[in-house]
Amino acid sequence: MNNQRWKKLLDAILVPVLAVLSGLVVMGILILTLNKPVLESYAILFSNGFGCKEYGNCIFLTTLERATPLILTGLSAVVAFRSGMFSIGQEGQYLLGAAAAAWLGYAIHLPPILHAPVLLIAGMLVGAAYGWFPGVLRVKLGVNELLSTIMLNSIAALIVEYLVQFPMRADTSAVAHSPVIDESAQLMSFFPGSKWGVGFVLAVIAVIVVYIYLWRTKSGYEQRMAGQSRRFALFGGILSDRAAIRAMLISGALAGLAGAIEVMGVHRRIMTGFSVGLGFDGLTTAILGQVHPFGVFIVAILFSGLKLGAQIGLQLNLNIPRELGGTIIGFIILFVAAGKLYEENIVRAREWATRRRSSRLKRESG
Amino acid sequence: MTPAIEMKGITKDFASTRVRANDHVDFSVEPGEVHALVGENGAGKTTLMSILYGLIKPDSGEIFIDSQKIRIDHPNDAIQHGIGMVHQHFKLVPSFTVAQNILLGMEPTQAGLLNQQQENELVAALAEKYNLPVDPTARVRDLPVGMQQRVEILKVLERKAKILILDEPTAVLTPQEVNELVTVIRGLSRLGYTVIFITHKLVEVMSVADRVSVMRGGKMIGTKKVSETSIPELARMMVGREVLLRVKKKEMQRGDVVLEARDISISDVNGLAAISHVSFQVHRGEIVGIAGVSGNGQTELVEAISGMNSLDGGEILFKGKIIDEASVGERRDMGMAHIPEDRMVVGLNLQTTLDENLIVSRYDDSQFSRYGFLLMKTISEFAEKVVRAFSIAAARPGEGIATLSGGNLQKVVVGRELSGDPAFIIANQPTRGLDVGSIEFVHKTLVEERDKGAGILLVSVELDEVMALSDRILVLYRGRIQGELDAATATEEEVGILMAGGNLQDLKYAQRADQQELRS
Ligand SMILES: Nc1ncnc2c1ncn2[C@@H]1O[C@H](COP(=O)(O)OP(=O)(O)OP(=O)(O)O)[C@@H](O)[C@H]1O
Ligand SMILES: [Mg+2]
Repeated sequence: MNNQRWKKLLDAILVPVLAVLSGLVVMGILILTLNKPVLESYAILFSNGFGCKEYGNCIFLTTLERATPLILTGLSAVVAFRSGMFSIGQEGQYLLGAAAAAWLGYAIHLPPILHAPVLLIAGMLVGAAYGWFPGVLRVKLGVNELLSTIMLNSIAALIVEYLVQFPMRADTSAVAHSPVIDESAQLMSFFPGSKWGVGFVLAVIAVIVVYIYLWRTKSGYEQRMAGQSRRFALFGGILSDRAAIRAMLISGALAGLAGAIEVMGVHRRIMTGFSVGLGFDGLTTAILGQVHPFGVFIVAILFSGLKLGAQIGLQLNLNIPRELGGTIIGFIILFVAAGKLYEENIVRAREWATRRRSSRLKRESG
Repeated sequence: MTPAIEMKGITKDFASTRVRANDHVDFSVEPGEVHALVGENGAGKTTLMSILYGLIKPDSGEIFIDSQKIRIDHPNDAIQHGIGMVHQHFKLVPSFTVAQNILLGMEPTQAGLLNQQQENELVAALAEKYNLPVDPTARVRDLPVGMQQRVEILKVLERKAKILILDEPTAVLTPQEVNELVTVIRGLSRLGYTVIFITHKLVEVMSVADRVSVMRGGKMIGTKKVSETSIPELARMMVGREVLLRVKKKEMQRGDVVLEARDISISDVNGLAAISHVSFQVHRGEIVGIAGVSGNGQTELVEAISGMNSLDGGEILFKGKIIDEASVGERRDMGMAHIPEDRMVVGLNLQTTLDENLIVSRYDDSQFSRYGFLLMKTISEFAEKVVRAFSIAAARPGEGIATLSGGNLQKVVVGRELSGDPAFIIANQPTRGLDVGSIEFVHKTLVEERDKGAGILLVSVELDEVMALSDRILVLYRGRIQGELDAATATEEEVGILMAGGNLQDLKYAQRADQQELRS
């Protein structure tokens, strides 16, 4: 029986991997048209995205650090989508979670064992509250959550911009930013010179917790059933509205956590332009990762590595404009969106394999 | 005569479900005949027809049309060879008009522009030609199922099909609509069209078909002239054993009242009264049948009792307690079970596994979850048990159910609903789309539950079913109970009169008048 589950999991991973490979082929063609060395560009892409020069000094560690908020916002989208809520409010929840953590990081002073957890929890609570609101609007008033979350994203961006420019502003330097948070509130990194640290571990834990929550708990079951078929949920006695609001709370908390970790582990403060489309990238990660926590984990790392390798590596080493790197990532998204193509071929390949196997068995026995 | 279609040695394995859906099937159809294709759920009928229509590629086998060997790789090839198919589940665009649907993809254009007027006229002419009246300007979503089906048939005819495949066309129709369809099929056959139709209702086979082919377990069992066979023989060929076409029932052991409706009124989705001031009781150990033409308030009544919909007035008592405010889950916890009329959308979640479908009403039980966590092993063992107890073919714990055949899907629903020793069961169209063997199974199971002391409310538009199973019959007409009959003495005529809105007095007068006429 587990056979089928493994197959499904394999598909969840195989589709994005095949899509990435197709994207790389397109990249080769694009680079060829620019008259640049194709093979070398692949090498640079990988060494700048996934490479490691020596122990403890790896670009790959930066990739993992960049993947951390992506994993969490991706999980946030997974929880919402699986529960039938098309929420794209990750951006706003992320920003407000970050602002809450940044403020409590310098405004209150606590011993280290308390300070960091308080900030993490605050980030999650603020994110959850900002997810709860569109959830309630949807359930009680029938307001489409897609529209309301887009609007709430803009509102959050303006609120945070205001906070950073005025009440939380540290000094009068050109780029507005808040004061550095206390040392007691910072998340440890594992190697000096890299910011890859506790935040990533928290993200990994979140991947596992979300998986267990969605597929092994009663509440997760309710949410998925309500998400797949409201009629079926109603018929079976599941309270869909409650499940939807719970999904939005959890989804918001995960995005808020992403914001808090980004402040506590990477920037140590919040500044103007804090989110560069992270919410949207999280959304893409969720979809590319087949709306599955494990898929999100893999895609977030691939995505971050490709970004580093294709946008920065190629530009620095071969003078290839970073826009081309963006184009390659765009192609990969396109290929995953056409994921059916791969799925069908995977199924066809598998059918062909079983047929061969059975005819071989027949021949051997007969 | 050369056959219109000949399929030879068709074999198809589905790797994903490890099922041989067609096993060296030979099938031939004469030009101009009405050919019925029957067989148990999952016998491979839809697969065989999908192969003929180019939707599924066979692993081996050949297809001949007018003795010419042809390849059909895609529905377009099939259409080219004059084959058209109306699917079990319609594929119309609900927001388009009838004309737009029929002409979809082949609209007449003038300088690249659509001409609505011309479209409507074309479709009206088409409808006239085949004597299938439709309103070309009506939107498909506003049409009753019977009409939608007519649109599907016209769509196929417009594409110049000479051979029509109808996959279970009558499963979703009311008896009146079935009669209309039978007339349509006869008319088409008279015009020289060849019709292949799949059905589970042997009565229909006897009344419209010229010949009938029987499939079982992916194999073709045989083809017979309808004039040379009988319903019991066909049933035996289908199932491979003797089938009880009418279940045996023990004497009823009537217990206390388990469910009571007191003066209830319910409105439909549009806010119009669907049930007005209805009262009745269901006792333990009793099957109460609700007869009636569909659309007379059955759906609303069932949804209100199960808790999916609320009452406008009156009250419902379950085990002596008023449950008007109780949620679906609370009612289920009290021992209510519900076999819904729509298994595809309401009764099952086709996107998830067998296990998760089986626990939907009881995942809260301490048996299946503890401290908020699902007990995966117990659930999977439970699924195993249900699969075995209800012999659900091709279903495996932990795997999806989307490719199960209709009968097996219904067994999943019935298995879930009846495995918790319910005190009261709502069975709404419990055998819709099922083969004779499965019908026998569902009927037997319901009677067993009754004998174990459950109260059962059976809602069915099939008069035969209500007559065969019920202990007491209530006839629903325009949201009211038109009459109550003791099933032991009721005649079909009496039920029929009540279903049409008449009353028994009328019947008696009519009979007396008949007798007087005879005498004089
Ligand atoms: N796409 C598919 N993938 C895997 N298995 C399938 C698929 N389609 C059908 N099957 C399996 O093939 C068998 C035959 O199915 P088919 O739909 O042809 O039966 P049927 O005779 O039309 O039944 P019904 O009367 O219930 O419609 C069933 O066991 C079914 O589970
Ligand atoms: Mg079928």
